[in-house]
Amino acid sequence: MQRYETEVIVIGGGATGTGILRDLSIRGIDATLIEKNDIASGTTGRNHGLLHSGARYAVYDLESAQECIKENKILKKIARHCIEDTGGLFVTLYHDNPKYHDLLLERCKLAGIKASEISPMQAMAIEPNLSSHTLKAVKVPDAVIDPFRLTSSNMIDAVERGAKIFTYTAVNKIITSGNDSVGIECINKKNEKIEIYANIIINAAGIWGQHICEIAGIELKMMPSKGSMLIIDYRTNNIVINRCRPPADGDIVVPGDTVSIIGTTSKEIDYDKIDNCNVDDDEIDTLLKNGEDLLPNIRRTRGLRAYCGIRPLMAVSGKVKGRKISRGIVLIDHKERDGMEGLITIAGGKLMTYRLMAEKTCDLICKKLNRKLKCTTHKLPLPGSEKKIPAKQTIKHFSGIPASTVGSTFYRHGQRVHNILTKDKKNYRLICECELVTEGEIEYAIKNLNVKNITDLRRRTRIGMGPCQGELCAYRAAGLFNEYNSTSPEESLKLLKDFLEERWNGIKPVFWGDGLREIELSYWIYQGLFGLGDFGDSDTEEN
Amino acid sequence: MIKLQNISFDHCIKCTICNVYCPVARVSLFPGPKQSGPDTERFRIKSPELVDSTLKLCSNCKRCEIACPSNVKIADIIQEAKWKYLKRRWFRPRDLILSRTDLMGKFATLFNSIVNFFTRRSIVKFFLYLFIGIPYQKTLPEYENGTFEKHFYKNYPDQNKFPDHVVFFHGCFVNYNNHKLGRDLVKVLNSLNVGVNLVKEKCCGVPLIANGYINKAKKNAQYNINSLSEIHEKSNFKIVSTSSSCTYALKNEYSNLLNLDNSAISNEIEYITKFIYDRFESGNIFKMKPVPLRAAYHSPCHLERLGGVIYTIDLLKRIPGLDLVILHSECCGIAGTYGFKKEYYKLSQDIGKDLFRSIETANPEIVITDCETCALQIEMNTQFKVLHPVNILAMAVKE
Amino acid sequence: MYDCLIIGGGLAGLTCGIKCAKEGLRTAIISGGINSLHFSSGSIDLMGYSADKNIIHNPFKHIKSIKRKNPQHPYAKIPVKTIEESITFLTDELKSEKLLFYNNSGKNHFRITAIGATKPTYLSQESVFNEQLDLALKNNTRISILNFEGFRDYYQEFAFSNLKKNSLFNKLNISSGSIKLSFLPDTKKHLLESNSIDIARLFETEKYLPRISEEIKKAAGDSTIITLPAFIGLNNYNKIHKRLLELTGLQIYEIPTLPPSILGMRIDNALKSRFSSLGGEFIAGDKAAGGEIYNHRVTHIYTENYTEATHHAKYYVLSTGSFLSGGLQSGFNKMYEPVFNLQFNWSRKRNKWYSDNFFSAESHPFLSFGVNTNAALHPYDKDGNVIDNLYCIGAVLSDYDPVREASGGGVAVSTACYAAQKIINGIKG
Repeated sequence: MQRYETEVIVIGGGATGTGILRDLSIRGIDATLIEKNDIASGTTGRNHGLLHSGARYAVYDLESAQECIKENKILKKIARHCIEDTGGLFVTLYHDNPKYHDLLLERCKLAGIKASEISPMQAMAIEPNLSSHTLKAVKVPDAVIDPFRLTSSNMIDAVERGAKIFTYTAVNKIITSGNDSVGIECINKKNEKIEIYANIIINAAGIWGQHICEIAGIELKMMPSKGSMLIIDYRTNNIVINRCRPPADGDIVVPGDTVSIIGTTSKEIDYDKIDNCNVDDDEIDTLLKNGEDLLPNIRRTRGLRAYCGIRPLMAVSGKVKGRKISRGIVLIDHKERDGMEGLITIAGGKLMTYRLMAEKTCDLICKKLNRKLKCTTHKLPLPGSEKKIPAKQTIKHFSGIPASTVGSTFYRHGQRVHNILTKDKKNYRLICECELVTEGEIEYAIKNLNVKNITDLRRRTRIGMGPCQGELCAYRAAGLFNEYNSTSPEESLKLLKDFLEERWNGIKPVFWGDGLREIELSYWIYQGLFGLGDFGDSDTEEN
Repeated sequence: MIKLQNISFDHCIKCTICNVYCPVARVSLFPGPKQSGPDTERFRIKSPELVDSTLKLCSNCKRCEIACPSNVKIADIIQEAKWKYLKRRWFRPRDLILSRTDLMGKFATLFNSIVNFFTRRSIVKFFLYLFIGIPYQKTLPEYENGTFEKHFYKNYPDQNKFPDHVVFFHGCFVNYNNHKLGRDLVKVLNSLNVGVNLVKEKCCGVPLIANGYINKAKKNAQYNINSLSEIHEKSNFKIVSTSSSCTYALKNEYSNLLNLDNSAISNEIEYITKFIYDRFESGNIFKMKPVPLRAAYHSPCHLERLGGVIYTIDLLKRIPGLDLVILHSECCGIAGTYGFKKEYYKLSQDIGKDLFRSIETANPEIVITDCETCALQIEMNTQFKVLHPVNILAMAVKE
Repeated sequence: MYDCLIIGGGLAGLTCGIKCAKEGLRTAIISGGINSLHFSSGSIDLMGYSADKNIIHNPFKHIKSIKRKNPQHPYAKIPVKTIEESITFLTDELKSEKLLFYNNSGKNHFRITAIGATKPTYLSQESVFNEQLDLALKNNTRISILNFEGFRDYYQEFAFSNLKKNSLFNKLNISSGSIKLSFLPDTKKHLLESNSIDIARLFETEKYLPRISEEIKKAAGDSTIITLPAFIGLNNYNKIHKRLLELTGLQIYEIPTLPPSILGMRIDNALKSRFSSLGGEFIAGDKAAGGEIYNHRVTHIYTENYTEATHHAKYYVLSTGSFLSGGLQSGFNKMYEPVFNLQFNWSRKRNKWYSDNFFSAESHPFLSFGVNTNAALHPYDKDGNVIDNLYCIGAVLSDYDPVREASGGGVAVSTACYAAQKIINGIKG
């Protein structure tokens, strides 16, 4: 049994949890984060990665919209390397109600979002693949954000400032003394018990927060709503395209890094299903159909995979459901609500407002700890985003290494590219040929970014996220785990198997056409040629 | 940005087999067709900053496309990326000279003896190397006196007497550098009772595409499409060419690469041996006399891509007395104008090395190949004379 | 007019082509793109696993039982004698191209995989398995699993650790190691970014062989048997393998790894060379785009480059492979056979195309989808009529799972020979 003491325990390694951890570390408060899986493996990593301008919320939820545009501007400064400032369009198609267009413009103005009407011709010029049935278009300051990198950068900064982080460690029990919570008991993958004591415990577990409260003996009701998304093999559009109509299924196509993502459906699910939810076939039909309305040829492209996330919505009032529930931030001091000192729940909100949620939470922590420390996360850039340097300059700096490789590494890691790439051939040789992930990047991630398996490695680097979904690189990655992490060969092969199962889970819903051919080849290689399935039983990672 | 219509790269299943068949990757640091084509295409779509300069090493031999089990137009993707993204100086005298075969031809055929006299001199070659970067080791093609067109109209006025007709797209090489091939073609087709017709044509655009003069290539292509479809519409004649690369461009590259509508003619264009093969198959065979030669046949890359090699081989096999060795199918390295550039000269020689060696081993009396630049490359690197299959067929015609 | 026109030049198409050409039939193969031998193990599987996942030692005995259990299986449509003869036929044809195969006198043997699994197979190249290796397994021999340092497509430790635990190898003394190739000049493609074909070419560069052998000997230590990832030469494989054995004094075996498969390409090369030396015509670079069926017979086919010109033949053979090779195609909620739109066995619901787990013991249903034929391997057109002059062979066929059964090679070769014989009988009367 291991035993630690700290000032604050943060439960949950999503954007909010790591955001809180970073904020605390910057303020100089000792903190430890516990995550039952990998960072950004829950809702944080399971959305479409839109950096909202707030326009989507402006019509129904002005407060959220205002929060959004404010955070949008902050994040564009502090998290430059996680964001690509693509801009966004709201397009009204011929069978959409044109009144919504006017309403949107009016409400955006009210929320302080810079929205400007452009002609359909201009919209088509910006986005050549856009439907020719476009009646009206509005340009908004939407952008795209990579939630994996965002979370990882928050984690690196916190860890470099002395915070601790335990992934694949689940909270078993809240340790109480009288009415106060004083620590947690958790268990890691090796089945070791760990006890951590702290003054304050933050429940930042998102949708799983209900469960954390349950084990603390507190009732907190979440309203899980499943959203599914479909990834297209490459960028079909270079600007975020929103459908200008009341929020509905399949109303957005987001270009994220090398791919495009059609989002999103909305389905109420039972709380006990949150760990085992899959994308349904009818959701794929819906997404494709609606995606096709926006980008007419999108069905001809290859669907790479589909995934779903659970919106962590809090049941504040009983009436509204799903999309229409406020995305407002809920900060609960359980001392006031339930009489339990030392436990705080932060919930609701969205990826966009993670920093604000962290700020509010840390302000409450400081108040409780009686420390007069101010938040600076709105000014302090994340590691990798320190300076505004154009990609061109970095590519030039690493001349001799292919521009595509340098550019992609820079895109993913910002200025940390200098900690990753060297002009040594072994360093910059490609391991993942689809997403241009080099051996150097893998070595860096394994050694510095708290990577426990190939799926974690994927979240930090994009390995195996391209068209082949790990067909060649997964085997290589397993080899490098063996080399850089001294993972035993048996263990490495198990990681390989788990990784391929994890990839498979997302491929199944879009299993046809070239994706099917790709899988036939992968299956032939890993089962027919290698016989990987012949070893042991694979336990699939949860969805 | 990419239009969603042109997305063959999306079909790539990363099987890596194209790399095996890439002659450039075999001898250089070219990362191979997979990496340069479909893999990095996704990044070029994302941002034009992510373009690798190694793209320029691709010689557009299209062997990757022949190998691809997924029908990815790999070479087209790379060509398009080359001219779309790679920076070029606007003034490139060497590329201009190499790509404007028609302009050069028109000029040189006027003063052919002078031009040929000079291009044979090593001092001239040296200056060409020094100032514009044409490797001095290269033998430059010789020019004829006047154009084939002119000779044709003068010497063959009676083509109307034949029951069947074709349009002959002679291309620059026949027009300016090799009249014999044109004459032999007329002889062979006439022996099959097929009359030959010419139309107004411009350079097919292959060298222009290779050197990035896309607008000019499009203009030429449109000119050819118009001119050929006009006569086809009127007369329903098939169109034949003695150049495998011209044929491939007219048939496929006009639409795949230049995005022009060539549907009116693409099915009507045939490489000459396929056309003759079809006559032979339907029983229209001329009387043959033996051609007692030991010959080695080299199949050019673009004819391979066209799937037309077997027709040439079939015709050659029918010629009595011809002792034919079919060489292992390999790229000769010249790839049109590629081998005429000093920066690729060594590469081009390295690529062709195996072929030259196997020709030496076969030790024939002559080499046969369908492609004019392959012929130049082989003549330069071996001591053998190179002929076109039509030349051989003409030798076999019994009058 | 061809006697026999084969669409698809893979293992099945080439075997069929060779058999027809050998009988003097005018035979052509149209092959769009490379075949899947390029991804294969380079061994020919016949029947490796039973339905309950047990390893089969005697494949012919098992094939006999298939006739009862699964009458739709391609093996159920072919006399066992024909299957036996077809394997012999293939072995002989490859032998005449100097590619020698080991056959465990009618029984399966195993091949070692890149991660140290052992898989049952029927024919292996002599550099993958032979009597000497069989003998060595029964004695206390030292064997070393080697790789070239820095090669990214093979990790010897995986093979090493799993073979150590394998009961077949418990008599052996196994070690692992890596071979340094630091003497190579920098100008060529770097070893670090090489794949198997680059290294195979290195082996073909004869001047490097003595140095490579020296380094191999160093890495082998006191082992007498070593394994390398499969790249001992491609075109001059026999010569190089022999020379390597002389230079090192070791027994050297090859283990196939990530594509391109050098072992498979050797078979491909040998079959193609055999086919053309028998006078067959191989059309690469063009692809069959479609065919016309009239009165229950194929009248002609046309190709991608020549959509109007047509190919005519007395008999046609469809050996276009599975989805991977494009012989079968799938789309959103649909599947079809693209050349003739033949009747096709598949499931209408797309979530019935696959199993829940990637490494499910049941494999995946789509692998058994394919063209439905009668007992003579004639397919049906979309109205259900038998097409008399068309045969379907190889992976385009339905009702067998090449991965789960380890039967792909055997089905390809035996259906090919079966169809070829029928065509030969048809032509010669």
